[in-house]
Amino acid sequence: MSSELEREIGHDEFDPVGTLGLITIYFLILVVLWIFMYFVEFAGGDLTVVGVVV
Amino acid sequence: MSTESGTFLDQFPAEAKVVRTAFYSSFVALFVGALMGILQVLHRTDVLRIVDSADYYSLLTLHAVLLVLSFSVFFLVGIFTWAVTTSLDRGLQDLRYTWAWYGLMALGTLLAGIAVLGAFIPGLDMSAAVLYTFYAPLQAHPFYYLGLALFIVGTWLAGLDWFRSWWAWKKDNPDERIPLPTFMALTTTLFWILSSAGVAVSVLAFLLPWSLGIIDQVNALLTRTLFWYFGHAVVYFWLMPAYLLWYTMLPKISGGKLFSDPLARVVFVLFLILSTPTGIHHQYLDPGIAEGFKFIAMVNTMFLLLPSLLTAFTVVASMEHGARQRGGSGLFGWLRALPWRDPVFTGMALAGLMFAAAGFSGMINAGMNINYLVHNTWWVVGHFHLTVGTAVALTFMAATYWFLPQLTGKAIWSKSLGLVQVLVWFVGMTFMSNSMHRQGLIGVPRRTAEPQYSGFDYEVAVGSMAELNMQVIIGGTLLFISTLLFLTVVVMTVIGDKVDGLPDNGYADTLSGPEDAPLVLDNLKLWAGIAALLVILAYSLPLAAIITRGGILGPGGSPSPQFVDTLLFVGRVAADTVGGVIA
Ligand code: HEM
Ligand SMILES: [Cu+2]
Repeated sequence: MSSELEREIGHDEFDPVGTLGLITIYFLILVVLWIFMYFVEFAGGDLTVVGVVV
Repeated sequence: MSTESGTFLDQFPAEAKVVRTAFYSSFVALFVGALMGILQVLHRTDVLRIVDSADYYSLLTLHAVLLVLSFSVFFLVGIFTWAVTTSLDRGLQDLRYTWAWYGLMALGTLLAGIAVLGAFIPGLDMSAAVLYTFYAPLQAHPFYYLGLALFIVGTWLAGLDWFRSWWAWKKDNPDERIPLPTFMALTTTLFWILSSAGVAVSVLAFLLPWSLGIIDQVNALLTRTLFWYFGHAVVYFWLMPAYLLWYTMLPKISGGKLFSDPLARVVFVLFLILSTPTGIHHQYLDPGIAEGFKFIAMVNTMFLLLPSLLTAFTVVASMEHGARQRGGSGLFGWLRALPWRDPVFTGMALAGLMFAAAGFSGMINAGMNINYLVHNTWWVVGHFHLTVGTAVALTFMAATYWFLPQLTGKAIWSKSLGLVQVLVWFVGMTFMSNSMHRQGLIGVPRRTAEPQYSGFDYEVAVGSMAELNMQVIIGGTLLFISTLLFLTVVVMTVIGDKVDGLPDNGYADTLSGPEDAPLVLDNLKLWAGIAALLVILAYSLPLAAIITRGGILGPGGSPSPQFVDTLLFVGRVAADTVGGVIA
């Protein structure tokens, strides 16, 4: 493995910006899906549970 | 790190044999389990029904028990045994003891398997079509319960084995930090024993005597609650070894180092504390448990987001570190520098990606009110085929391509086929799980041999039922093919010849090491104590309420709204306590 390494990056030089970017995108997807869920569950018609029980 | 370099087999031949045997047992279970999986797919979609629909539930029980207990757990005891041995750099204390726990686990699987398969032998009055959750009043042959109990006791003894290694090591190294892989194995063992004690009580005190005819009846809600007391923690029992691999192998394979050892320790401590007092979130729809207790379980569940997000961050950052060391650059350009041709890497990375997707469906499951929308539908099955069925299973398969040479001294027969295998699994699961989620949303039930109803059509908002079923069929078939490819590579590797020049045994270094982690993190007694305390807080009142109302052996119950009962009960306890203090 180590033969493929081009450079050594120590703790202080490493700034995981790409990770921050990916996690932010993931978080946005979650938020969008969460909002989408509202339409699937509620806006589509009856409230699933209340509508059935009452 | 090691006294003698070389593969794990060179360093610890006897331990390598244990791990190898555990892995092979796990692969046998995987094969039979996957065969049941494809049969279920074909049965439900009415493509091929080779068994009577009444027997479908035996297949399903076998599928679940073999995959989530035998396949996952045999593999993970192998991983933990490797992790402890490698990171402490010492052999196990007593191999006879080690083989004894392996033997118990194997015997347990065999007994449970026989009980399930007995249903197919004409004239034999044996069956265990109780599904993986074995809710009373469904009843199984005593062998089933006995088998589960032996299996679980086997895993406890395995955990003790790792502790014995650590205790012995600590005597020789009194001032050293617990090496990270060992720390992970030990914290996992602690919550596993704490949580599986619940299911052990359910099986040994109630279900086994009941199926033997010693007692006439059980309190169904009590045994169910004891099951779920273990039922959420067990998912972390499967997941923690996958995390161990993501934290300690993935960075190395990516060409980098683990971003932070202290963060990894914090994550495992959080799982130790939080994994058990959440089980009631599987019972949001159970009558007989007050809403307040369900709410507490929901809050505890939401806290689990914290270690999950910490893991996402640490693992991805470690991969990024590797990619940048390999010359990657740019905000996202480094992703291309990762070793995508290596099945070990790609399998684990795709497993992690699927786990991220499962994070969303998990959030839906976890919310008390939204859960009603998906409870007991195929959505849930879609969800856990992403988690245990892929995040864990695919990580284990990918890791096998690294472990097998370490355990046998032989090179992987075909790494390219391995790469194809992990990709096929990913694609297959994308189809199957996506469709299961969508079917669940329109109300298709899980655990149903014939989910077709006359005079009723599902209202599919987008696409059609035929399209959804086609996706499950394609997905299930790809998954089965992927399993066969995996087993082919394993068998061909194992029957091959030994080679020289295999990579040395080892695991990832860290960017920020244990010296940066507060000492208190290694205080296992403290964390185990807090875990036990949280369990008492979360469970003593619900269990007391269930027993007072339904009787220890049930059945019983009152039709009044349950929260009234609970309020009365809490009031009575409070009054008694106050009375006790005053008197
Ligand atoms: C070959 C790949 C697989 C296929 C085709 C497959 C297929 C299925 C299907 C169709 C069901 C639902 C049956 C129903 O609701 O009626 C199911 C249930 C289940 N599967 Fe899989 N599966 C596969 C792999 C796995 C893996 C790898 C795991 C875990 C490690 C797993 C764990 C489970 C569990 C726990 C259940 C639920 C059983 C129950 O309801 O009691 N499966 N599987
Ligand atoms: Cu859960």
